[in-house]
Amino acid sequence: MSEREIGLALEMKRVSKRFPGTIAVDDVSFEVFAGEVHALVGENGAGKSTLMKVLAGSFDDYTGQISVKGSDVKLHSPPEAKKHGIGMIYQELSLARPISITENLLAGRLPKKGIFLDKGRARSQARELLARVGLDLDPDLPIEDISQHEAQLVEIAKVLGNGPGILVMDEPTSALSREEVDRLFEIILSLKNRGIAVVYISHHLPEIFRIADRVTVMRDGKKIATKNVADVSREEIVQMMVGRSVKEFYKRDERKIGEIRFKVSGLSRFGFFHDISFEARRGETLGICGLSGAGRSELAKVLAGLDAADEGAIELDGKPVKSRNMAEALEQGIAYLTEDRKLEGLALRLALNENVLAPIVDRLTSAAVYSKAKGAPLVARLIEELAIYPPDPERTVGNLSGGNQQKVLLAKWLASGPKVLILDEPTRGVDIGAKMTIHASIEKLAREGCTVLLISSDLPELVGLSDRVMIMRKGHFTREMSFEECSEESLLLAANGEAGQGLAEGRA
Amino acid sequence: MADSQEKTARAAAARDKDRRSTGSSAAGRLVSSAGVYGIAAIFLLVGVLLQLTGVIHGFLSVQNMLNIVDAAALVGIVAVGMAFVTYSGNFADMSVPTTMGFTGYVCIELLRYGFIPAVIVALLLGLLIGFMNGYVIGKFKANPIIWTLAVNYVTMGVIRLIWVNKQIYPDMRGSGQTAVALFDGIYRLRFFNLIGLPVVILVILVIAGQFVMTKTSFGAKLKLTGSSLRAAKLSGINVERVIISAFVLTAFTATIGGLAVTSLSRVGAWYNGAGYDFKAVTAIVIGGMTLAGGRGSILGVLGGALIIGLLNNVLTLLGVGTFSQDMIRGAIFIVVVGINAKSLRSLGRDDA
Repeated sequence: MSEREIGLALEMKRVSKRFPGTIAVDDVSFEVFAGEVHALVGENGAGKSTLMKVLAGSFDDYTGQISVKGSDVKLHSPPEAKKHGIGMIYQELSLARPISITENLLAGRLPKKGIFLDKGRARSQARELLARVGLDLDPDLPIEDISQHEAQLVEIAKVLGNGPGILVMDEPTSALSREEVDRLFEIILSLKNRGIAVVYISHHLPEIFRIADRVTVMRDGKKIATKNVADVSREEIVQMMVGRSVKEFYKRDERKIGEIRFKVSGLSRFGFFHDISFEARRGETLGICGLSGAGRSELAKVLAGLDAADEGAIELDGKPVKSRNMAEALEQGIAYLTEDRKLEGLALRLALNENVLAPIVDRLTSAAVYSKAKGAPLVARLIEELAIYPPDPERTVGNLSGGNQQKVLLAKWLASGPKVLILDEPTRGVDIGAKMTIHASIEKLAREGCTVLLISSDLPELVGLSDRVMIMRKGHFTREMSFEECSEESLLLAANGEAGQGLAEGRA
Repeated sequence: MADSQEKTARAAAARDKDRRSTGSSAAGRLVSSAGVYGIAAIFLLVGVLLQLTGVIHGFLSVQNMLNIVDAAALVGIVAVGMAFVTYSGNFADMSVPTTMGFTGYVCIELLRYGFIPAVIVALLLGLLIGFMNGYVIGKFKANPIIWTLAVNYVTMGVIRLIWVNKQIYPDMRGSGQTAVALFDGIYRLRFFNLIGLPVVILVILVIAGQFVMTKTSFGAKLKLTGSSLRAAKLSGINVERVIISAFVLTAFTATIGGLAVTSLSRVGAWYNGAGYDFKAVTAIVIGGMTLAGGRGSILGVLGGALIIGLLNNVLTLLGVGTFSQDMIRGAIFIVVVGINAKSLRSLGRDDA
C-alpha cells in the first residue's frame, strides 16, 4: 500500500463545482496511481464530464484541493493543467481540419531553423508521434483527408507529444471500429507500462473490464464508490450507476402496421447512394443498417429535404413529396433528427422550451404574435414523457447532460407531430437510462401510427426496435431482413458484406 | 416501494432546484437589463458632481439635457435596427455610414419633386441596400463584416461618382420652401417646444423593436438563428429569410437616421453617417447584447445609446477633443466585450 501511495499521480480532495442552480460535482474525492488505468463511469449528468473539465483547467471557481504527484496545484486555466502534465482527449476532436497532421501534432512547438520552419525535422517528429499510436500516414496530409478513426488516433498522438503524466480519455472509442479499439488498448497498455496514469471515461462496460484496473462510479454529481475491477461484476456497476436494477431492456408489444405511407423509388444522390427504393407503412419502424460511410446519413438528409436528390421520387400517402428545403419537408410531415446534436440539433444557448418549440413556431403564431405560453402544456407533457431532468422548461439546454440533451432533441420532433420521423443515431453516446426512455418513446410513436426510419450503428437498438431492417452497403440497399431474421450477428455480417473486415461494434 | 420513494424524493429535489434556478436566472436577467440604466445613472451622477464641483458648466441645464437626448436619439435609431443584425448572429452592419450618407443625398436631390416622394425614394433605396446585404450574407454565407464593409466603400464610390465629390444643400435644390422646411423639420421639429422628432421616432422604434423581438414568430426565429444557425435550419426555419429581414430592418433605421443627420447638418455629404457604425455597435454591446447573437434586448440597446449620449456630452463639456473621445469609446467597447466574455465563461456558457 505504501508503495502505491508513493506512486500517487493525481489526488482530488472534496472537489465541488457549482453552476447556477445545480451542483454538477458534489464533494468528490478521487485518486489515480501512476501506471493505473482508472475507469470513471456514470450516467449522463452524473458529473464525470464536469469533473474532467475541472482537471482540464476549464473552471477557475471550483472548490476543493487537487494535487499532482503529491504537490498541491491550482488548475484554473488550460495552460496550467497542461503544465502539470494533464493531457485531455475528448470525444469531439480538437484538430484543425484544413491544416496538415504535422502542424496539428506540433502546434505551438514546431521546430525552427533560425526564423524558418525546419520542415524536415517537423516531419520526422510527426512520424515518430504517429508511430507511437501505430499510424503510418503521410504527415503532410491535411486532417480533412484522413478518416475519422485516424483523426482520433492523431488526436491521441498530439496529446502524447506534450509528455503528459496523467491522461484523461473521454469516450475515446465512440468512433472507432473493433480493430481500432484493439489498437487503442495496446497503446493504453504501453502508456500504463511507462507509468502514465490513465483516467478512462466510457459508457461501454465491456471495455472497462478489458482495460481498467479500478473503476469509480458517479451518480448525480456524487461519487458512489471506487472498486477494483476484478472484485466487481458488470451488473453491480450498472446498479450503482442507475441506482436501481436494470430490468429487461426491450419488451416487444404487439404492433399494428397499417397501409403504405412512405414510398421511395429509385432515389439517388450521385457519389453517395444509388437507386434506393423502399416502402414503409403506418406504424412501422424500418431500420437502416450499415457501416459509417455507407450513405445512411446522406439518404436521411435527402429524405428530409436538406439536400437535393439527383434522381428518383418520394411519395407520402400517395402524393409526391417535393421539398426544396427542410421547412417544406416539415410542412408535409417529414421530420429528421440529426446525428449531430451539438452542432445541428440544438441551440445550446437557448432554453429547453425554445428548442422544443422551434419547429412549430409558426403553428403557435396567430396574427404575427408568437405565444410560447400556448406551447407550454405540450412542453410540460414531453418533459414528463421523456423524464427530462431537471424538469425545467426554462433551463438552458447547454447546461443539461448529454442524455437529457438528446431527449430534448427527440422532444422537438415529437412536438412537431410528424407522419414520418427519420432518426439518425437517436441514442449515440447516451447512458442506459436515457436510452430506455428514448426507446419507449419511439415505440409509443410507432404505436400511434407514425412511420419511423431508424438509422443506427447500435445493433441491439436496431434489432430491438425495428420491424424490418434494410442493409445499406456502399450506397446501395443490399438486403432486407424481417424481424425474425434480425440478430446482432446477422446484421453485422450483412452490413460488412459477409467479409467481416473492420467490424462496427454493437454497443449496449 | 423503495424505488418509488426515491423517485418522489428525486422529483421533489428537482422541483426545488427548479425554483432556485428560474428565480436566479430571472433575477439575473433583471440585473443585466437594469444594469445598463444603472450605468447611465452613474454617468448622470458623475456629470452632476462635476458641475457641483465646478469642473464643468451647464451640464444640468434643460438645453444640455435636450442635447444629450437628441444625440442619443440619432445613435439609438441606428442601433435599434442594427441590433437585429447583431441578434441574428451576424455581428454588425458596417455599410450603415454610407447608407446614411447616400440616402441623405438622394433625399435632398429629390426634394424638388416634393418632400414625401423624396423620403419614400430614399427609404426604398435604403431597403434595397439592406436586402442586398441580407441576400448575399444569408444565401451565400458571405462574412457579414467583410461584405458590409465592402458595400460601405462601394456606396461611397457611387456617391462620389454621382455628385462628383460635391456637397449639396437642400435650399439650393428644393422645389419650394415647403419641401425644404419639411426636410429641415426632420431633425428640428419639436413637440411642446421640447421633445424632438428623432426622440419620438426612437421611442416608437424601441417599442416596435422590443415587440418584434420578443413577441412575434419572426423574433423567435431570429433568436434561434442567432443562437445556432445550423440548429435553426434543421428545425425547418427559413434562415435566409430571417437574415435578409434583419439586414432590411437595419437599413430601414439607418435610412431614418441618415435623413435625420442630413437634416441636422443641412448638407448632403458622404461623411454624414461617419462613425455611426461603431457608435451603434458600442450602444448595442453596452446594452447587454452579445456579439455571439441570440441574447440581449432592444430596451438594453436604448440604455446603451443613452450612455453613449451622456458620455459624449460630459467629455465635450470637459473639453476632451473628438479624437480622444473616439479613443475612450473604443476602450469602453473593448472592456465591455471582455467583461461579457468573462462572465459567460464563469457561468459555463461559453459554448458554440
